[in-house]
Amino acid sequence: MRAVDGVDLDIRRGEVFCLVGESGCGKTSTGKAILKLVEATDGDILLEMPEGEARAYEDVRQRPDDPEARKTLDGLRRKYSVTWKESLPWTVEQALKSAGAFLAAVFLAIVAPSLLLAAVVEPFGDPWSTIGLCVSIGLILGLIGSLPPTRLSRRTRVILTLLALGSIIVAPISALSLHRALVGDVSRFDVGAALATPWTQELAAMLVGFAFGAIAAGGSSSLLLDWRSRSEGMAGIHMRSIRRRLQLIFQDPYESLNPKQSVYEIVSEPLAVNRISTNPGETSALVREALTDVGLRPPEEFLFRFPHELSGGQRQRVSIAAALVLQPDFIVADEPVSMLDVSIRTEILQVMMELRTRRGITYLFITHDLSLAWVLADRIAVMYLGKIVEMGTTEQVIGHPMHPYTKALISVVPSPDPRHKVERIILKGERPDPSDIPPGCRFHPRCPFAFERCGWTAEEVADQLRSLKAGGMLATASGVDLSDAGNVRLSMGSGGPDALVRELNALVSERRETLLPLKGIAAVHATNGFVELSLHASSEPPLLEIEPGNSVACHLVSPPATVSESLTA
Amino acid sequence: MPALLEVRDLTIEFRTKAGIVHAVEGASFNVERGEAMGLAGESGCGKTTTALALMRLLPYNGRIVRGSISFEGRDLVPVPEDSMRAIRWKEMSIVFQGAMNSLNPVQRVGRQIAEPIMLHEEAEPEASFKRAGDLLELVGISRNRLNDYPHEFSGGMRQRVMIAMALACNPKLVIADEPVTALDVMIQAQILDLLERLRRELHLAMILISHDLSVLADTCEQVTIMYAGKTMESGKTMDLFTDPKHPYTQGLVGAFPDIRGPRNMPEAIPGDVPSLISPPSGCVFHPRCKFAFDRCTKAEPALTELSVGRRAACFLYPQVTEVPPRPIVITEV
Repeated sequence: MRAVDGVDLDIRRGEVFCLVGESGCGKTSTGKAILKLVEATDGDILLEMPEGEARAYEDVRQRPDDPEARKTLDGLRRKYSVTWKESLPWTVEQALKSAGAFLAAVFLAIVAPSLLLAAVVEPFGDPWSTIGLCVSIGLILGLIGSLPPTRLSRRTRVILTLLALGSIIVAPISALSLHRALVGDVSRFDVGAALATPWTQELAAMLVGFAFGAIAAGGSSSLLLDWRSRSEGMAGIHMRSIRRRLQLIFQDPYESLNPKQSVYEIVSEPLAVNRISTNPGETSALVREALTDVGLRPPEEFLFRFPHELSGGQRQRVSIAAALVLQPDFIVADEPVSMLDVSIRTEILQVMMELRTRRGITYLFITHDLSLAWVLADRIAVMYLGKIVEMGTTEQVIGHPMHPYTKALISVVPSPDPRHKVERIILKGERPDPSDIPPGCRFHPRCPFAFERCGWTAEEVADQLRSLKAGGMLATASGVDLSDAGNVRLSMGSGGPDALVRELNALVSERRETLLPLKGIAAVHATNGFVELSLHASSEPPLLEIEPGNSVACHLVSPPATVSESLTA
Repeated sequence: MPALLEVRDLTIEFRTKAGIVHAVEGASFNVERGEAMGLAGESGCGKTTTALALMRLLPYNGRIVRGSISFEGRDLVPVPEDSMRAIRWKEMSIVFQGAMNSLNPVQRVGRQIAEPIMLHEEAEPEASFKRAGDLLELVGISRNRLNDYPHEFSGGMRQRVMIAMALACNPKLVIADEPVTALDVMIQAQILDLLERLRRELHLAMILISHDLSVLADTCEQVTIMYAGKTMESGKTMDLFTDPKHPYTQGLVGAFPDIRGPRNMPEAIPGDVPSLISPPSGCVFHPRCKFAFDRCTKAEPALTELSVGRRAACFLYPQVTEVPPRPIVITEV
């Protein structure tokens, strides 16, 4: 099942972008995919891309066969996409590295324990014993080095400290064992004697050990890094640091807050999880600030309350505070007010809009309520069955809708002013099943303006003819079914082929404006005992820019390149 | 000829561990034959309680303290439960809130629609099922689906089944409690369209309960606005929405964004709904009202007729009288 299919949208910094549509149209899935809460099967979510590079991205994406364009595309995706997965073929270098790591592992498993034991029982006694020590330390350092930094500051500091500590340990061990091997006496430190001593087999073995340790460290760390970036994608590494800046406000404040946690715990948890603040004083100050920002004043009064002690509006404020405490740049608000009473709803919206002006937060506002989109949004995208059918500025989309679906949707939104009555376009049926998407334009079975090329299928036409037959029409046909090739086939009644063809043509030209599936019939032929219908070719309307900033996916608005064939007998 | 339904001074209380909840106090409204009356207000204002009281379906801890519900001139409050059974569903019926959860999931819908027909009209099962099929077709569902289970229907279709069920015994009045809440806007339009068609064809009177004023503005002739169990204002839809008198109605109308109006951010009503166990003194709305003055905190405004068919309970209008203080009745808990 494809819940969201080829959605392209750009959200500009500081704007309120509304995603509207009926339930099940994929608006929530889109929101979740943007935050990587569900993994998108394909496509890119590009973050903070400068306009020039965004245009370059659009440009190279049009030429998938050009190897140069592919390279640029991969580079751009590697740089900005949170869904980017590194998928490079194996190279000689990588093969060597993994072989090295394998050897190191074998060594570690078989030889290292005994050498390590020797090193512990009689330290520096035997040059061989240092090999185990050095390799072990090397591998530990390698492992630490392979852990990528999630945030640059702290983790990097820890790694550098550990590496420094490691070299402090390794250096004296090496110096001491070297001295011991050369001079044979630890109590007397004599560089001259050490230099004068001829190199022995033990000494060579020890140096090999050091080299082995270094290789083990480097090889294992780069291999582990490689493996991680392969298995979770680079995004798995990036995402944790990005997550702080992308936040989500949930729909139902009664379900999204843990009833066993106090307001303080709920709001401070993101700080702890993202390791922003572990200092209690700092945490408390940040929590208070977030609560004040969402209008829970004074914050002290709310800090130690539990969700059941709050009203619906206050709960939603707490869940906004929990998103806000991380100082995000971008918030996906999934129906944030649909569960709230009207009088509280506006306050929440005002809080959100105030934060936008004060902190420059960008919102992706997901809602089914078009009147809310009308007052809030800068730009709107209307979704139907996982595709965007119309996108543009609020004035364009709601003020002058072009897609039949948008028109219908707007016409049925009730208005609180009884003077504003409009003709409602009520679509028949409910939203179709996303696991069985109609061919052609996916909206055509419900569209009141559907015409020839919208994608009528043989089944739809046959169903229409059957219901006409059941209503007493088509007396010259004895049955309607589908041929093996998938065409509509009418078996002849008593009148012979000509009568049937004539009746069909008359019926089509007379009723095609009311019974839209009849528009799908391109031609009627009589073939050995049956009358077969051929249907118009159809295509899925692409989302095309009709006027600057306004895109619509509809054949009516963007006429197809080829002229539709006329009805022939 | 009396109005089909005349509710006067209806007062309902619930006894709870925390104290007595004054769920509805002094609700008064009329519903004429064939007319749709909208009951609006935020959650907890007593809309559903009023509807349940009309049907005599209040939970065990709720009771009608005062007031009358006269249906075709006959007061239903003193009617014993046995006779109430004859009125319920045959005279007036209800479409419960939450169509998703109101149907029995393990019974075929045909049976669920036929059941009230068999019970109330003592019809034969065969005739009842035939009528259930007719009802399904009336609400726009093929009769072939009589043998389906509720989970095989979508939300909008389940709501249609609920409506078919409410129509089972040809009632004169149908109460629809939040019939389109939680439905998609297109399905919402389909259901409202259906209700309007049924009302016209069957000459039904309807009480439409909704928190969404825009839904009522589109469908009802009369609207009553409730707040914290009290009636704030009532009148003809056109008058009430274009010229709201009560500050609460003004706030509520202003709180809805209008897709066909200017792009203004709606206004908020500051504050929270008061507790119904210890409601504020005087006018219940005064703590949130921007026009409140001295008198509002001390005395309670009575629902007074301002012009023909237009009533409001607010001291901003000089002709509004005070509710006389009620003697304190000590009830044993």
